[in-house]
This record gives sequence, structure tokens and C-alpha cells, in this order.
Amino acid sequence: MKRFGLFFVVALLLLTLIPASAQEDSLTVLCTPQEDWCVAMTQAFQEKTGIETSYVRLSSGEALARIRATADNPEFSVWWGGPADAYIAAANDGLFESYESPNAELLDPRYVGADNMWYGVYVGATGFCSNVQVLEELGVDVPTSWQDLLNPALKGNVAMAHPATSGTAFTAFWTVITLEADKLEAEEAGTGYNEDGTPTQAAIDNAFAYFAELNNNILQYTRSGLASGPMAGRGEIAVSVIFSHDCVKLQVEGFEGVLVTSFPEEGTGYENGGVAIITGGPEPEAARMFLDFTLSAEGQATALQVNAFQIPTNPEAPISDLAVDLSSLTLIDYNFPAAGALRTELVERFDTEIAPAPTD
Amino acid sequence: MLTQRRFGAGFRRILQDPVLAISLLLVVLFIFIAIVLPILAMIGVSLSEEGRALFGHYLGERAYQDIIVNTLTMGLSVATVGTVIGFLFAYVQVKVKAPFKRFMHLIALVPIISPPFAVATAIILLFGRNGMISKGIFGVRYDIYGLTGLTLALSLSLFTIAYLNFKGMLQALDPSLEEAATNLGASKWHIFRTVTVPMLLPGFAASFLLLFVEAIADLGNPLVLGGNYEVLATRVYISIIGLHDNVAAAVFSVILLVPSLTVFIIQRYWVGRTSVVSVTGKPAGTPQQITHPVVRWGLTGLVLGICALIISIYAVMFVGSVTRVFGVNNTFTLEHFDFVINGYGSDAMVDTTTFAIIATPLAGVLGMLIAFLIVRKAFAGRNIIDFGTMLGIAVPGTIIGIGYLLVFNNPITLTLPFVGDNVPAITLIPKLTGGRAVLGGALAIVIVYVIRSVPAALRSGAALLSQIDPAIEEASISLGANNAVTFRKITLPLIRPAFLAGLIYAFARSMTTISAIVFLTTPQTRIMTQQILNETEQGRYGNAFAYCVILIAIVLVAIGILYLTVGSTTGAERSLEGGA
Repeated sequence: MKRFGLFFVVALLLLTLIPASAQEDSLTVLCTPQEDWCVAMTQAFQEKTGIETSYVRLSSGEALARIRATADNPEFSVWWGGPADAYIAAANDGLFESYESPNAELLDPRYVGADNMWYGVYVGATGFCSNVQVLEELGVDVPTSWQDLLNPALKGNVAMAHPATSGTAFTAFWTVITLEADKLEAEEAGTGYNEDGTPTQAAIDNAFAYFAELNNNILQYTRSGLASGPMAGRGEIAVSVIFSHDCVKLQVEGFEGVLVTSFPEEGTGYENGGVAIITGGPEPEAARMFLDFTLSAEGQATALQVNAFQIPTNPEAPISDLAVDLSSLTLIDYNFPAAGALRTELVERFDTEIAPAPTD
Repeated sequence: MLTQRRFGAGFRRILQDPVLAISLLLVVLFIFIAIVLPILAMIGVSLSEEGRALFGHYLGERAYQDIIVNTLTMGLSVATVGTVIGFLFAYVQVKVKAPFKRFMHLIALVPIISPPFAVATAIILLFGRNGMISKGIFGVRYDIYGLTGLTLALSLSLFTIAYLNFKGMLQALDPSLEEAATNLGASKWHIFRTVTVPMLLPGFAASFLLLFVEAIADLGNPLVLGGNYEVLATRVYISIIGLHDNVAAAVFSVILLVPSLTVFIIQRYWVGRTSVVSVTGKPAGTPQQITHPVVRWGLTGLVLGICALIISIYAVMFVGSVTRVFGVNNTFTLEHFDFVINGYGSDAMVDTTTFAIIATPLAGVLGMLIAFLIVRKAFAGRNIIDFGTMLGIAVPGTIIGIGYLLVFNNPITLTLPFVGDNVPAITLIPKLTGGRAVLGGALAIVIVYVIRSVPAALRSGAALLSQIDPAIEEASISLGANNAVTFRKITLPLIRPAFLAGLIYAFARSMTTISAIVFLTTPQTRIMTQQILNETEQGRYGNAFAYCVILIAIVLVAIGILYLTVGSTTGAERSLEGGA
């Protein structure tokens, strides 16, 4: 029995090691980019400021859901990374605090959210990440259009994330909506876009029809946007719909010669990774300092330590040679405010209409 | 009337002993708050107006009906295959003259300490589209995703339950019955068919039902191997993680709870009671072993084949943890271990182990205490306590998680009536889950670890206790010791083996559980299984495997320590063994 006593004492002692609450000199970041960049960014910030910084990584849809769910009592003070659509959705719900960052004046106005609710920290383009060996085996060329993904030979060989959880997937989803709207608009003005510039219901329905068809070729909707990349790398699937910089990162980190990046010719979407202060967060002061840091050239340079090939928004931050040249792509006109406003409704429809549907 | 009076007397006896009365009260309170309340809250939310509408929607629509069918099909398929594998292992172990028995036994126990996702991930690398075996050896782009892969992964993870069940039964089977059949001229096959199998039927039913419940509750494997094969557990998960729709999650949970609970109750109260085996008490003589070469080598070969499969899965895990990208870039590297031990993973390692260390003795003692109360103290409602405790494991983990979110996301307070607004409300239970939860959410996680482990401790404690003559305890009471002293000095040492088993199970279960805590981790608490899920989900299998290897190492070390501290044989235990 004495040993038991000891057991409990040890257990209780260990219990005291758990931090009871967040200290003032600490910061917990809600982080959406790849895990290694979360580490690099928070460590660089910690070294610079002495503020003990930790993070929780969540995909952007999950992060948004978490911020909404805990709005009464926020766990995080700042959210960094992940496409702006989710930031706009959150700002519309009043979940962010306006903050005028001194570093904002360096940024192109495109990267400053309405009312300084959020800022853009990097840019990346949606692309296809394909396994050349698998494509060859299936007798399919590297896809260069959204229609190529519907090729029946690719049945069960395409993967993307679930737009509800992943900003990567939502960006791709909105891209198709925009392309469908453009198509309708080209046929007859006013059928693709409403007067306020948002896509019409017809355009949205067409996009859903596209994804319903694509569903037959999808092996799995992953939770995290970048997850389908390694699946392609390992040859489990042929094509992953992903941000091109995540595909390049995989090529550099072990999948060289296996994966190729390609872009849809008719037009591709792009993300504007965001950063914002969460209303009522536990560490507002540290959060503002962190936001400033992510906009600084120094903060954005951390990308290069971890093979994050997004394009920095700070013009003074170094750009990798491997970053995508946006001018070489056909980019859609990505209506971030409309995407943000419609996000919740669209992903719920996707979750009930497309994702659970059986494939035939 | 008679029984009623006896129960009443039992109650009075308990009330006369304050220690006993208080511990009974605490146990009941704990079971109610930690197990029953969250489940009731979840059911309550699902029956709200919004929830009722969703029920109609989900049950009426084809896509969702398919998900329900998928879940049940997977349960049946895993239950069948897992039971057969478990039976094979047990039969060869007990009834067949085979080599390497010790080895087979150990391999059959390995899944107990297996972290989630390890098997599913390794199966993809071995049998997936580009798998080492499917593609590398057979040249087929095999489609392992969906029912096939899930059945394989879950059967190999769960068959241990069936194996241990059958092994016990086969060992307890009275060989004299088979001998009698032999003497009457029956062939071995005839005996197997008409004597052995009928005697084991309850075992088949029990294993089948238990595996069914475990399989449909599983979250980890469908997330990795599901492909487009959607099951209820993953729907619950995406409803919370992706959409934060508590109502939808509660509705899916209730749809999942119905078959889980039904099957569990059938197993426990119907099949569990029809035991044919132990009627004759201790088996007389040693069981005859099968020596017929075809049967002997056929079955042994089959079992060894499955052993090889299991070993290859764990080999992939170990090798994968030290290669850059397994199968694509096979350069040796320690970067994954560096990430887990020195990088961000180290927090998870320390937190998880700490929580498990705290939960383990609590679960063990609580299990023994409840077993003691139920077996030794006759009082009305002990069956309810037993059932309430068992709910902790009968209910799928995701459901426990949601229940906790619903009940403990805000502090539970009591405002005194008639005292005005000046007197602050009394906090009965602080906020346990979500951000700014007490102890960073650690308390909720530890409690969940405890309630998931107590049922096993209770069962092994109750089983052992009911075999021990209460005379020893009565003697202690006659000599003047009270209930508390008797429990500590007599009962606990007597049921030490059950206690040890309970502790080992509790630690292993706590370290490897995912579905129950996946919604409960907070920024301050990192749990290894959750990190393994993240790494797996993002395709960084190397890191995930490194976590798995370390997790297994921690569990093995803990089992070793438990054996050394708790398992040492004392006089009481030896005399029990000698006297039995």
C-alpha cells in the first residue's frame, strides 16, 4: 500500500507541472500553415520578443469553426495563415478586432482587409499536384484543366480536402464557381453574376454539378488541405488538388521526380493567407506584436527556413526561386468578400450534398 | 418479499458504516456526473426541435441511409473476421500441438498496446495502390480503401478481445466430454462440430458482439482508410471539427448509439449469462491436443501467416520511423524522432504520459472499489451502478467527447435562491473543456481516461472477487476491522492480479485512446494520439510512426514498472493460489 501512496504523490506532483492558465508573457497562436512553419514563425517571434509562444495548428475551416464555437471565451488571441475567405467570414461575424498595424503601410492595399480587420501575409495559387508514374500507368496526361479531372480513367485517383475543413479546398471550390459564373456571363450578361458582383445561383448550381461529377473520381476528402499531396507522392492517387507551393515543398522534401505541378489553363484561383486579432482573446498585447511580426520582412522570411514557397506580401521579404510566378498563370478574379460571405452556406451544402454521396 | 428485505438490510448495513456509505455515494456521484450526465445531455440536444428535424432528414435521405448501412456492414464484417481470427489463435494455442505457441500468444497481445492509425497507415504502405506487397510483389494497384481495408485493419486491431475470450473458454472446457465422445467412437471433426463448437457458442456470440461494438465506434481507421466509405463515427467527427454543429453531431451520435447500446446490452445481459463452460467447475485432466498432420499444420500455418502479417505491419512502422519517406525515399534518418523528442512533439509525450499516470491508479482503485461494492455488498441498485460504469466503454468515444463538450464547456453553478444578486453563484463544477478550462482541460482528459478504463478493471475485479470466499473478509470483520481496513488489507491484496490487469489495461487504453479525447484537447494540452492523427492526416507518416514507436515504448516500460511494483507476489496471493 505504501507504493500506492507514492504513486499518488508522484501523480499529484506531476499535475502541478501543468500550466494552470496562460501567463501574461505568453501567447497561443491559432496557426493554419504547415506545422513546420508554425514552429519556425512562433520560435522566431519568441526569440525576438521573449514572449513564450505556442500554437495549435488547425486547418482553416476547423479554425473558423473553433473561433465561432468559443467566441464567448476565446482560447486564442491571434490567428495566422490560411485563405482570407475564412478571415472575411469571421470578420463578418464580428469575431475579429480591428487593428491598425504600423507594418501595414508596406503592403499593397489588396492585402489590407476592410476596416483593418485582417491583413494578407502571403499569396499562393491553386494547382494540381500529380504523380507522373501513376498517370503514365493510367494512360492519362498531366491535367491542365478542371475538365481533365473528370476523365473516367482517373476514377478513385483524385483527392482533395473537404471544403468545410480546408481553406485549400474551399479556394479550389470558389475557383470553379467563378469559372462557371464567367462561362454564364460570357453567354449572356447578367446570368453569371448578380448586380453586386456575387455569382448567381445558376453559377453556383453549375459548380455543384461539376463537383458532383468529380465526386466519382475522388478517393477521399481529407481534413487538411495539404494531405492529398503526400497521397499523390506515395502513388495512392494520381492527382491532388492543392496549392502549388505545397506541391513544390513536397518535391523538395522527398518526392523529387515523382510529383509535378500543373495549373488549370482556363483559370486558377489563389489564396491570400491572412492574419487577424481575435476579439476578446486572452493576450491582446502580445497578439498585436505577433501580427506586426508576421507582416514584417523578418517574420515573412521564416518561410524560407521551412520550404514554404508562398509569395510574401511584404515587398521587402525574400522570395524563393521556387515560388510560383503568378504572371505566368491565368488567374481568376477572386472575389474575396463574396467568397467570405457565402463560405458557410456553401460548405454546408457541400457537406450534405456532395461529400456523403455514394460514388457510382 | 424476501429479496427486498435482504436488499433493505444490505442498505442499512452500508449506512451503518460511514466509510462505506461515503464511498458508495462518491462512486454513484462520479458515475452520474462523469458518464451518465454527458450521455443524457447529448441525447437531450439531439431531441431538441432542430435535432428532431435532422433525424427526419438523415433517416429519410438515401446518402445518409447508406452511411448507416456502411457502419453496420463494417461492424458485421469486422466482428466476423475478428472473431474467426481470435478463435483460430486460441484454438491453436490450446487445442493443437503446435510449435512457437509462446510467440503466437505474444503476437496476439500486441494490438493491445498498438496506437491508433499505426495499423491503418502501415496497411496502406503494404497493400495500398502503391503498396510494397500489392504493387511491389504482385504488381497490382490494389484498392484497399473502404470496407476491405477497414475490415483488415480493424480485425487485426481487435481480434485480441476474441482471442483472450476463447482462450479462457477453451482452457476451461472439460476435456472429459471430448474424451467421452472419443470413447463413443466419434471422429475429431465430429467432436469439434458437435461438442466443442456448441460449448463455445456463447463465446462466439460474445466476441462477435463486442467486436461489433468496438468496430462501429472506431474513428481512427475510417479517417485514414475509409476512402469514400463514410461511416457514422467520421460524420460525428466532421460535424464537430469542420462545422461545429453540435446538434448534427448529437443526432449522428444517437444514430450510432442505438446499435452500440443494443448490441452491448444483448451481449452483457443475454449472451453473457448463458455460459455452458463453467458448469462443471475445474476441468478434469489435461485437454487432448490435435496431432493430425493436415489439421495441425494447416491451422498452425494459417496462424503463423497472420502473425507474419502483424509483424510486417509493425516492421513498416519501425522502419518508417527512421526513413525519410517510406517507399519513396528510403534514406535513413532520425529527423522524425528528433521532431517527437526534441521538437514540438515532446510536449505531447510528457502531457499524455502524465495524464495516463494519473488516470491509471484512479481507474484501478475505482474499478476494484466498485467491484467490491457490487460483488460483496447486497443492496438495491447495484446493477444500475454496474451498468452505469459499463456505459463508460459501451458508448463510442466520440459520443463521450461530445457529451463532455455539451456539459462541461461552461462552469456548472448553483445560484442560491432568495439571496439576491449580491451573493455570487457557487461553482459546483468548473469549466472542464475548451479554452481557459481548468488545468488547461487536463482534468476532463484525465476523467475520460478513467471512465474509459474503469469498466475493464471492474470486470476483472468482479470476476476474481466472486471466486474468492467471503469468509476471509468476514473473519477480518469479526476480528474487529472495519470495512475500509478490510478492503485495503484483505480484499485488495486478494484481487491483486485483477488490480494489476486493470492498471495495465488502464494505462495502455489511456495512452492509445483517440476518439474520446479528440474534442477535448486544448491549446494547453497536447495528446500523442491527437498528434499522431494530425501527422497522419497531413501525410507525414514518418513523424506519425516515430510517435507510435515512442508511445509503444512508454507503454511497455509502464507495464514493466507495474509488474515490478504491483505484481510482486505476496503471501496473500500465494496462499490463495495454493488454497484454490
